[in-house]
Amino acid sequence: MRGITKRFPGVVALDNVSLAVGRGEIHAICGENGAGKSTLMKILSGVCRPDAGVLEIDGESRRFTGTREAEAAGVAIIHQELNLVEELTVAANIFLGRERRTGLGLLDDRGMAMEAARLLESLECPVSPWATAGSLRVGDQQLVEIAKALSLAASIVVMDEPTSALTEAESARLERTILRLRDQGTTILYISHKMDEVFRLADRITVLRDGRHIRTVDRGATSAREITGWMVGREIEGHAFHEHRAPGDTVLTVRGLTLPWPDHPRGYRLKDISFELHAGEILGVAGLMGAGRTELLETLFGASANTWTGEILLDGRSVRFRHPREACDEGLGMVTEDRKRLGLFPDLDVAANVSLCSLAEAARGGLVSRAREEALVAGPVAATGVKTPGVHASIMGLSGGNQQKCIISRWLLTKPRILLLDDPTRGIDVGAKAELYTLIDRLCREGLAVILTSSELPELLTLADRIIVLAEGRLTAELPRQEATEQNIVEAATI
Amino acid sequence: MPHGDATSPPPTAPGRGFFLRPAEWALVLAIILAVALTAIVDTNHSYWFQPSASLRDIARNTALLGIFALGATVVIIAGGIDLSSGSMIALSGTVCAATMLLISPAAMIGFKPAGPVAVILGCTAALASGFLVGTLHAWLITAIRLPPFIATLATLVGLRSLARALAESATAALTPSKNTLINVADPFFKAIRDNVWIPVAVFAVLSVLTWLLLTRTVLGRHLYALGGNEEAARLAGIKTENVKWFAYCFGAMTAALAGLFYVANESAASPSNQARGHELNAIAAAVVGGCSLAGGAGSVPGTVLGTIFMRVVIDAISKIIKTGADVYEGMIVGVVVVIAVTFAQLGQMARGGRQLFPGALGLCIIPALALLAGGVVAMTAGSRAGIAAGMAALLMLGGLRAWEARRSVTAS
Repeated sequence: MRGITKRFPGVVALDNVSLAVGRGEIHAICGENGAGKSTLMKILSGVCRPDAGVLEIDGESRRFTGTREAEAAGVAIIHQELNLVEELTVAANIFLGRERRTGLGLLDDRGMAMEAARLLESLECPVSPWATAGSLRVGDQQLVEIAKALSLAASIVVMDEPTSALTEAESARLERTILRLRDQGTTILYISHKMDEVFRLADRITVLRDGRHIRTVDRGATSAREITGWMVGREIEGHAFHEHRAPGDTVLTVRGLTLPWPDHPRGYRLKDISFELHAGEILGVAGLMGAGRTELLETLFGASANTWTGEILLDGRSVRFRHPREACDEGLGMVTEDRKRLGLFPDLDVAANVSLCSLAEAARGGLVSRAREEALVAGPVAATGVKTPGVHASIMGLSGGNQQKCIISRWLLTKPRILLLDDPTRGIDVGAKAELYTLIDRLCREGLAVILTSSELPELLTLADRIIVLAEGRLTAELPRQEATEQNIVEAATI
Repeated sequence: MPHGDATSPPPTAPGRGFFLRPAEWALVLAIILAVALTAIVDTNHSYWFQPSASLRDIARNTALLGIFALGATVVIIAGGIDLSSGSMIALSGTVCAATMLLISPAAMIGFKPAGPVAVILGCTAALASGFLVGTLHAWLITAIRLPPFIATLATLVGLRSLARALAESATAALTPSKNTLINVADPFFKAIRDNVWIPVAVFAVLSVLTWLLLTRTVLGRHLYALGGNEEAARLAGIKTENVKWFAYCFGAMTAALAGLFYVANESAASPSNQARGHELNAIAAAVVGGCSLAGGAGSVPGTVLGTIFMRVVIDAISKIIKTGADVYEGMIVGVVVVIAVTFAQLGQMARGGRQLFPGALGLCIIPALALLAGGVVAMTAGSRAGIAAGMAALLMLGGLRAWEARRSVTAS
């Protein structure tokens, strides 16, 4: 791969990345969230097309327009989110789209099942080809995906964080499989956050950061510490806001919070989390994808699907919210992670999106008047600096930053004491980010307690007074701002 | 400039003010066109010679359909669907008649006035049955987690059967002979039948109340929010279960109210075929009026216009075809619904470069549509006209596809 560039609206996901992978090697690709690993692999496997650059396989220039073409050229990808049809059998999944037929043109189920059984056996996978894919454990499903790649006789297999949902035994089995495939001459591109895995498996390691290729090294010539340093290795952007803030009394105490995760080998989404939050303080929550950041905020907000154990104290009083409504009534607000899916109402205009939680205040005798609603939303819309052609404009016509300001305005109208911000600047351009930082800082100085999660460490380091780090549902570090660096956060998050 | 500029609401926003949106003006135009066309094509010219009788007819039917189309609108805006309203109408009418029969059996059997107590209790029981059915729907959907389609499909078949059983056991116990219908001869219901303004006034008042509910109350806003994005609504602290409960009760209770007018109209509660299939007319009226089955979009003015449009079209069919019009009613209503909803998407189709006749599917559908058009014309106007119509449709659609194909080639 040479000079690969891929742009998405507003961001350059890959900037002139070149990478050479030898036949029959295990090549690990490391980088933080958003470094461009997944995009690079999607280009290699034909899921998306590069804006510039050349992809060569065995010296031959290729330009895939779909996964089918990539598969035909011997490239198979195993996505982080598995792509199995849960209602179909294992064998049917392995041969999906390439079904074998008998002489009569009917499905050759028996033949496919026998071939599937042979492939699964070679992977030490003890499941029947006739079992439905949905009935398998995640680890076995992963192996079915690998069997699918093998049935394609793929010479290049891409694995995107394959062990994120596996138990240790399943991970070990997968590692054996990967080594065996390598010995048979298959090239493996292995994306992972986990340093120990990378150092057990990889022959060579490539580090990406901010869409740029940083370095490719032999495993023997480096160390885990050096790799995480390269993954992070940027100057901290902007200035730190936390100075001169004076956190006040404790408003929220969390003790031994555990959130179960039924039907998952890990068994819990959160385990034994304890921390405190003060008025006028921003508490940052760091962690990789799947570490439990969103689950933590949802649990605090009464929005988690499972029943948690432990203790949540609000002003020293034990609370247990069963519905977000109760959390709102107690002065909590939550800006959700996925703005489009969990925050915005695309059919409602800007005013209605902002007034949603406090519309009753614009009602007299049960009837809402347009004028009172406009007056209600005017305050927070002006205070957060939403740029809109009018409060009755379509919310979908605004930029991501302005949509997020509308959602923050919505919660400000409920006069919260604690605001939970779940990755609030995701998908927002740099200028709007700076405005949001200033806004969050101002709200905090006015006495609001804020819990902020982010997939970007510089953001946490810019805004937070304290940072707690989650790794696979456990709290692995609590760092005051003075002691927190990207290096020690990443180390705590990849334990 | 955070606010102050007067800008138009987004195209799919809940109706604000009395001003109609472009799609609704188009409906008004379509209604006028349908009336004008019928006035000209109808060989009896009944719109010219008996305008008041025609108007009365359309007004009564519009009011009857409109009352529970408003209920369907609220349910659809909240992101649900209620397939059971036709059966709810049958049940509510039967509950009303059976209650009256229970209170004054002698008067009911003798076709005499049953007295105000019987009428009031009968109507109350009917509306209460609507509340109970709505509650059942909400429970099935929010607690048992059935998809709304399944829950109300079950009550669609179940409630009509329940109503028939109720009619038979009530007549078996309280009248000399078991019967599948209960006659209602009370003057209260006769008055409703003979004075068209009563159902029209009820429909008008209910429309205004529903419009106020949807555009001017907190609950109304929450209905739009629930339909637009259920998970976001829950995370914004809205008790989505309660909002759904209201929506399904509103849907079932408007159907129960309509059931009383059905009884008045036919002077009987006849559960085996009263309002059979009418739930689909109500849903069609809401959809033609701009409701999105995905939820979150729709308005009362739209549904009122959609109802008028549906009834005008059905009336036009019966005026133009005269004998056996009901045979063609379903077909024409189906075609009209498809055209009305497609019409609303035409602009979007043209902008998105979407094709009406893509690939092999497009190639197959053109002769199928031509055959359908030719067949219908042949059955109504003779075989020669049918063949001509079929050929014309084939040439037109084929030409359209050829043009589309050329456009897509030049575009890429």
